[in-house]
Amino acid sequence: MTTHAAPAQPSFLVDTGTRKGLMAWLTTTDHKRIGLLYLYSMVSFFLVGMGIGFVMRLVQLTTFQKLITAQTYNALFTLHGVIMIFLFVVPGLPAVFGNFFLPILIGAKDVSFPRLNLASWYFYMVGAVLAVLSLFTGGGAPDTGWTFYAPFSLKTGTNVSLAVFAAFVLGFSSMLTGINFITTIHRLRAPGMKWFRMPLMCWALYSTAWIQLLATPIVAITLLLVILERFFGIGIFDPSKGGDPLLYQHLFWIYSHPAVYIMILPAMGAITEIIPTFAKRTIFGYKAIAFSSMAIAGVGSLVWAHHMFTSGMSSVATMVFSLLTMVVAVPSAIKVFNWVSTLYKGSIDFQPPLFFALTFIFLFAIGGLTGVMQGALAINVHIHDTYFIVGHFHYVMFGGTGFAFFAALTYWFPKMVGRMYSKKAIYASWFPMFIGFNLLYFGMLILGMMGMPRRYYVHLPQFHTMHVVATVGSWLLVLGLLMFFGALLYALFKGPKAEDNPWGGVTLEWTLTSPPIQENFETIPTITHGPYQFEQESQ
Amino acid sequence: MSEHVHRDDFGARLGMWLFLVTEIVLFGGLFIGYSYMRYKYPIEFHHGGAELNATLGVINTVVLLTSSLTVVLAIVAIQRAEKKRAMAFLGTTLALGLTFLVIKSFEWAAKFHHGLYPNAPHLATLPPGEQVFFGLYFTMTGLHGLHVIVGLTILTVMLWWVATDRVRQDRYIHLENSGLYWHLVDVIWIFLLPLFYLAA
Amino acid sequence: MDWMNQAALSAQKSDAVFFYVFGLSVAFLIFITALMIYFVVRYSKKRHPVAEQIEGHLGLELIWTSIPLVLFLSIFYYGWTNYEYMRQAPRDAMVVNVTARQWAWSFEYPNGKKSKVLFAPIHKPMKMDVHSADVVHGFFIPSFRLKIDAVPARTNTTWFQATKLGSYDIECTVICGVDHSLMLSKVIVVPEDEFKAWYFGGEDAPEPGKSFRAVEAHPDLKDLPPGLAVLTAKGCLACHSVDGKPKVGPTLKALFGKQEEILVAGTMRSVTVDESYLRRAITNPMDQVVRGYPPAMPLTPMTEQELNEVIRYIKTLN
Ligand code: HEA
Ligand code: HEA
Ligand code: HEC
Ligand code: CUA
Ligand SMILES: [Cu+2]
Repeated sequence: MTTHAAPAQPSFLVDTGTRKGLMAWLTTTDHKRIGLLYLYSMVSFFLVGMGIGFVMRLVQLTTFQKLITAQTYNALFTLHGVIMIFLFVVPGLPAVFGNFFLPILIGAKDVSFPRLNLASWYFYMVGAVLAVLSLFTGGGAPDTGWTFYAPFSLKTGTNVSLAVFAAFVLGFSSMLTGINFITTIHRLRAPGMKWFRMPLMCWALYSTAWIQLLATPIVAITLLLVILERFFGIGIFDPSKGGDPLLYQHLFWIYSHPAVYIMILPAMGAITEIIPTFAKRTIFGYKAIAFSSMAIAGVGSLVWAHHMFTSGMSSVATMVFSLLTMVVAVPSAIKVFNWVSTLYKGSIDFQPPLFFALTFIFLFAIGGLTGVMQGALAINVHIHDTYFIVGHFHYVMFGGTGFAFFAALTYWFPKMVGRMYSKKAIYASWFPMFIGFNLLYFGMLILGMMGMPRRYYVHLPQFHTMHVVATVGSWLLVLGLLMFFGALLYALFKGPKAEDNPWGGVTLEWTLTSPPIQENFETIPTITHGPYQFEQESQ
Repeated sequence: MSEHVHRDDFGARLGMWLFLVTEIVLFGGLFIGYSYMRYKYPIEFHHGGAELNATLGVINTVVLLTSSLTVVLAIVAIQRAEKKRAMAFLGTTLALGLTFLVIKSFEWAAKFHHGLYPNAPHLATLPPGEQVFFGLYFTMTGLHGLHVIVGLTILTVMLWWVATDRVRQDRYIHLENSGLYWHLVDVIWIFLLPLFYLAA
Repeated sequence: MDWMNQAALSAQKSDAVFFYVFGLSVAFLIFITALMIYFVVRYSKKRHPVAEQIEGHLGLELIWTSIPLVLFLSIFYYGWTNYEYMRQAPRDAMVVNVTARQWAWSFEYPNGKKSKVLFAPIHKPMKMDVHSADVVHGFFIPSFRLKIDAVPARTNTTWFQATKLGSYDIECTVICGVDHSLMLSKVIVVPEDEFKAWYFGGEDAPEPGKSFRAVEAHPDLKDLPPGLAVLTAKGCLACHSVDGKPKVGPTLKALFGKQEEILVAGTMRSVTVDESYLRRAITNPMDQVVRGYPPAMPLTPMTEQELNEVIRYIKTLN
């Protein structure tokens, strides 16, 4: 463990080029700076989405319906969905931690196409701004839900076209990032960094990149068709012109199911980095985890129609897609079991990142298991399009991706900004977050079983009690989150200087200074062993 | 910082191929839609196809294929450091590309003349299947046309870069990738031809 | 058993699968969580200072690949077979045409009888042919665990066989515009004879469901309070209870002076129930519909004097 007393070269946070300050950031091609650009912009949009979610909960307390009309509510959950999916969980970990750490983890100076990388960020920002603009311009905020189902999305007077175009642009950003990562992993691995010596985060990012590449264009063209329908009425989805709404649903989900694995795979990757570091031992079943990532990417692209079981597909189709849905759950199971086994006979140093990682496993398991329930046909016909679904995907996306994001943030924060946060504050924020989360989203699961449909502005009396519980949960949750981000924000400016290797990790990023120097490595390392070798340490 | 990252032509080529994959999948989405609809309306698609001018379609195919060839020749010329010939070939490619667009525009004009365009009162009177057919026809040929235009713009830049020696014998990866893109545009057309013009 | 008022065969089929999966899930969740906690405590730095470097174990990998796979497949199979049952309507089922439009449901029976609520005889298979007049809607009966989308230019079908008398919610589950959440109706499950009486009984046949009339049912109208007598005679009690039980219509108990949320032309208003409100509700029921209820109240002609009796009686129910 080489711990530089003083970094030989200035850190990447110091402007060395001709440009200074903001301009230096907006024109940077340094993967680490781009990673931070993503982090800051993402958190901001994320807070917007969170605010909206919070308001939606208030609406479910009927007392607030004076303030918000049905039309507004429909706009709220649509924007909430669009922001959270396209601006937060889909770019999520790859854009922030992938950009920052992928080159470092494979011992490279940068990604293959640094300029393209910056371009992706600009695409992201443009898309984001358009999405927000769609709120205030045209016929008012879209009210179709993030799924934009035709023919309603063709008929509604609201500003669907702009919102859809925003998603289209964001898709581009995501695709370019994918291309960049695949090329980087193929071309820029340090000497001796064989495929099976890569940290598993890289495997996760690699599979993710392939999904981004193969799935995103489909949604791009689908959304393009929606726009064409709205402007020229080409009639491919419009039944009154011979089109077929089910075709839209198929095309949409061919992307949007794989997209959910775009969301979760990098999260799983981050967890796979964190657990060995704190268990002080090598990962259990390296290859099993690496291959299960690829398996999820593969099988995951064959299950899309499990979102359409009640749409009136042929009974053969429902059967096949239900079967495949069950199969795709297996690799996730494999990962879960390997993570747990990695704790076995470790020497566990309990720290905030591990705490959040284990919370991730618990919440993701609930999310996944509810997913399996939805995959079972007889159950799906009852819970489809109810709050049960809403509960499921918040468990996987927020409990999964979200908490993995927290874990990763607490894990790499010192490395990224060179300062340490207060562990106490982070622990403290966990409790309201965890309790609130389960009140909120388990409440939703129960509501769904009771038959509460999703996207409802007003609910029937029998659902009210559970809705109140959920809403109270959302307050606790938001409280916890504010504490969490508050602690990190404070550390960002006032935190003590972080050591180079605060957790005693052994992957490459921990051999660098915190924060790393501009091109990561003074000399590109030569790799002689697997990623999680703790022996040298203990000797 | 990219200057510091050593030049990696293979990487650039790989990146381009990956991008082409996304382009193919993009049209793939449309092809899925096409097959779905054709399966639903076989007869109507037959009639729709009959409305299209196959000869023009075939001519355009020949035009594009030759233009693909000339791009390859341009690259060969660059490898041989024959700047003038390279520019000549690129010029021909541009000319052929434009020819393609002109012919296509005549076709479209004819369709509009016969009221065979989306939302046209006449089209609305036709059976649903044919409305879908023409919806797809305009979408797919239109999107392809857009790609042709993009391709032409890129090739124009290449022409300029060759002229100003930014693309030379020892550094022609950009031209090579642009060529790849142009081939893609070509290949996609090869698929569109039978799907629409030869559907009858 | 009655779990979340399970009221049809389909509900039993669906719940059976649910409990199977639920059991498995709880078991696995507890197992995994317990294991995590145990390891974290047992192998903490203090108790276990030096970690053992275990690369993995093929046997274990195979076990936790195959066991979940088998379990998942069993879940699939159970779910699929029960679903096939829920999907294939028996040949002798009565076919009802369900039409969804923004934002209401309507039901048409083979003999052309139309209704805003779905009347169904108990223990008899009913097949639903579901259409949509505009955008995609979702036909959902929670108590039957049944759902099928209403897709324009397409006929989707489902079927049910009710096992419990009563009135159950119908909800729209696919976002279809501003009043999506108000696109509600009810299924009224009635004894077969009552259903037949209504079904074959021509235009002015009283709507079925009288059998829910709670204890207040009384053969001899003369010993009833005059208002109740009218209600009974006019068949109001088919849809309204006077003891607080919800039926097709809201209960009349404690109605007077209550804050009622009503829909006037699709927008929600909140009003206090008074004389004039009751009059309007009875004399032209359609122009202001109580939220959560279908606009299903028939206009029942009454003399001014009857009307006053009814209102006076409703007041007494506070
Ligand atoms: C991060 C995103 C994410 C992830 C990872 C998943 C994971 C899964 N999802 Fe989810 N899903 C969504 C996001 C996600 N989903 C979203 C956003 C929607 C709604 C879209 C919309 O309509 O708006 C949705 C909707 C959705 C539906 C459609 C519901 C409906 O509308 O009718 C279905 C149906 O099959 C489904 C299934 C699954 C399954 C089987 C998994 C599996 O991958 C889960 C696998 C994991 C586990 C199984 C848990 C861990 C394993 C164990 C603990 C082993 C032991 C367990 C056993 C042996 C049982 N999901
Ligand atoms: C990751 C995705 C994500 C997240 C985090 C959330 C967060 C929240 N969601 Fe979200 N929700 C969706 C994705 C998400 N949602 C989607 C896709 C839909 C479907 C929309 C549709 O129907 O079309 C939906 C729908 C939906 C509904 C159903 C609306 C309806 O059908 O009527 C409700 C109801 O209350 C709700 C509530 C909330 C609340 C209260 C929060 C939050 O406010 C809870 C408070 C906390 C947070 C939001 C912080 C979470 C933190 C992280 C995830 C990591 C932090 C990372 C950074 C800061 C960069 N959501
Ligand atoms: C087919 C069933 C049906 C019958 C028969 C019926 N009603 Fe109703 N009634 C309803 C429904 C459904 C509503 C709620 C929707 C509405 O307001 O139109 C309702 C609403 C009412 C209301 C307003 C209740 C409130 O909560 O505001 C009153 C009062 C009422 N009915 C009285 C009567 C009287 C008196 C009769 C007999 C002459 C009668 N109803 C017959 C179905 C019925
Ligand atoms: Cu009809 Cu929602
Ligand atoms: Cu899915």
